[in-house]
Amino acid sequence: MTDILLIAVNHVVTAVREKVTLFWFLIFPVFLLVILSLIFGQIGQEGQISFEISLANEDAGSGSPFPAMIEFVFDEVATTADPGKEPLFRLRRPASGEEIHDFVASELIAVRRGRRAALVVLPEGLGREIEAQLASGGTHVGETALEIHYSEGNASSAMAVSIIDQILAGIDREILARAGAYDASRAVPQRTTTVGSATEETPYVNFLLPGIVLMGFFTTGLFGIPGAILFSRDQGVLRRYWVTPLDVPRFLGGLALGHISLCVLQFAVVFLVGRLALGATVSFAGVATVLYLLLAVITFMAFGFLIASVAKTANSGMAIANILNMPMMFLSGLFFPITGLPFFLRAIVYVNPVSYLADGLRAAVGVDVAAFPRLAAVLVPIGWILASTAIAAWRLRWDVSR
Amino acid sequence: MRTFAALLRSESVLFLRDKAAFFFTFLFPLIFILIFGFIMGDVDRPSARLGFVEETAGAGGPLREVLEASGVDAVLEFQNEASLRDAVLARGIEFALLWEGDALEFVYNPNRMQENYAFQQIADGIVDAFNLRSQGAQPVLPIERIHVGTEASTRWLNQMVPGIIAFSILASGLFAVSGHLTGMKERGTLDRLLVTPMSPLALLAAIGAVRLVIVYLSTLVTLGVSVLIFQLSFRVDWLAYTVLIPAATLGMMGFGTIIALVVRRPSSAGNVANILAMVMMFLSGIYFPIEFMPRFLRTFSQVLPLRHLAEALRFATGVSDMSPMRFWIIVACLFGLGLALFPILARYAVRPQRS
Repeated sequence: MTDILLIAVNHVVTAVREKVTLFWFLIFPVFLLVILSLIFGQIGQEGQISFEISLANEDAGSGSPFPAMIEFVFDEVATTADPGKEPLFRLRRPASGEEIHDFVASELIAVRRGRRAALVVLPEGLGREIEAQLASGGTHVGETALEIHYSEGNASSAMAVSIIDQILAGIDREILARAGAYDASRAVPQRTTTVGSATEETPYVNFLLPGIVLMGFFTTGLFGIPGAILFSRDQGVLRRYWVTPLDVPRFLGGLALGHISLCVLQFAVVFLVGRLALGATVSFAGVATVLYLLLAVITFMAFGFLIASVAKTANSGMAIANILNMPMMFLSGLFFPITGLPFFLRAIVYVNPVSYLADGLRAAVGVDVAAFPRLAAVLVPIGWILASTAIAAWRLRWDVSR
Repeated sequence: MRTFAALLRSESVLFLRDKAAFFFTFLFPLIFILIFGFIMGDVDRPSARLGFVEETAGAGGPLREVLEASGVDAVLEFQNEASLRDAVLARGIEFALLWEGDALEFVYNPNRMQENYAFQQIADGIVDAFNLRSQGAQPVLPIERIHVGTEASTRWLNQMVPGIIAFSILASGLFAVSGHLTGMKERGTLDRLLVTPMSPLALLAAIGAVRLVIVYLSTLVTLGVSVLIFQLSFRVDWLAYTVLIPAATLGMMGFGTIIALVVRRPSSAGNVANILAMVMMFLSGIYFPIEFMPRFLRTFSQVLPLRHLAEALRFATGVSDMSPMRFWIIVACLFGLGLALFPILARYAVRPQRS
């Protein structure tokens, strides 16, 4: 028993001492959790993403009240925000004395080069055009229109246009209401409901945290197990073990114990960062969840043994792990829901044990509905454990010279 | 010259024999294009199928007309609320609308946290349009949306492909030095070469020349495959492209040199390069727009060479615009970095292994 414990302690201490290993098994999951939460956790939330929008009123001297009204609303939206939050967008206007056409020309280049999300131009004659539309009940066919200049492939530009559309729709209703053509009190109300047990939208960090936990287990198994076996074998460390009373089963027991300890440490760090720093509320406390986490650790450990058994050297083992790492992670829904994949990529998703574990774990912690049948989410990883163990038992060499 | 030609030949053969190098240079970018193309390709405009149930007869006609004009990809009618909710939950449709006669009830899947904001905006538009129409009013504010970006920049995927190419150049350049050279050291081949009349600079020039050609070819393959599979269009400025790719490869080899100099242990250099590449990959706007990041990360990304390389590549492939001066400054910096560090690399990195 002592030798098993010693091997386990050795595995943990080696991983913690080695800066590179420490990065991959502790720092990288935390980095990814923080970065992806910061990026995807705030999409669409007011005051979190801020754009720069330019507004040029070329119709200021027309005497019509509408261009000034549009300007006023944009000014209001650009200045009002909750304390501590950025306004929805920052509004750029021509500097005093700046020619309006020069401003429009320079801002068009800024939109084109991605420095500005959009440019709103109120062209000369817009006020009269709105008056004509009002007089004709919205059927007048004119040539003047408010212009929104944007860059389609630019994400902030596309989001800015959506926001501008909403503002303009509100202005449109206000103009109609003032003209007596629209009664806001008669408007049909909009209600919002959700499906499933959740009463409100799942925070992205709750969706992400189980994925990052699994990613950590996956990379630790994928790189840690083959690394521990193959480098020890290549450097002759294993050969030295075999001249001691230590045998292969007890070495494996120690390695497995050390690996599980590392995963527990990793889980604790990732969970605490998610919970304390990022406000995740997802709970891993249920028995089913803990069993599922254990199943994940064992699956990835077995997968690590499989790689160690097919690689001839430590370097080739690391190369195989590197090749499998990204495709298996990204084609499993660990970080983003995966939909709309073509058949050949869906086939990888269906044979990928990470897909089932991610799906099953999220269902177990209640942040998503299981896409795979519950039985498949357990049986497929078990199948991988059995197959990997069988291949490893058959092929894995414990000494270079044997 | 004969020495250089021999080195060139041996480096080419070494690359062609090295399955891992071949995989990472040619196949890895393609795998990324396929995975991210299908997963993240439409991050800027998620597909939106709307389920619809009319629970109370009346007003359904105008509402259907509004729905048809709302910009959703499809409007699917359901028999009852239960089947509608099941479809939303099972992700068969993105969101749904229940018309109850006195209210428009929109149903969302709370687990689609990344996309719901876009569906909510569509819903707001539907409600506005329906309310105007039901009171016999028409919009009076004429609006014209004008795309001012380049012709080839209408999808995020167009922006992503040059980003992935930039990342593959970064990886190739970094590992050319930190991986290849340290591998030679570990195998002892570098020590043997150094006792011949070969100059260290000739060896580095041979490694660099082979990498330049291979990286250039691999970027063309990646670009071509993305055009074939995703029907993307690029307006490549071939002069800018042909200058940028070698400059970028050299520049990234320069970064690899810095790593090789800072990290003394040969086997650690590859690992450090790997870590840096990974960090830069997530913060340089390669897979998701920089605009989605918080302000401090957007500012930080300014110091990452991968961000500037990706933007320069987007300019050279015609998917985004930048000032020509900025493009040529990026090219000059990359060239300068590579060329300035080459002699240093020859002096300090190409030397016998200390025992």
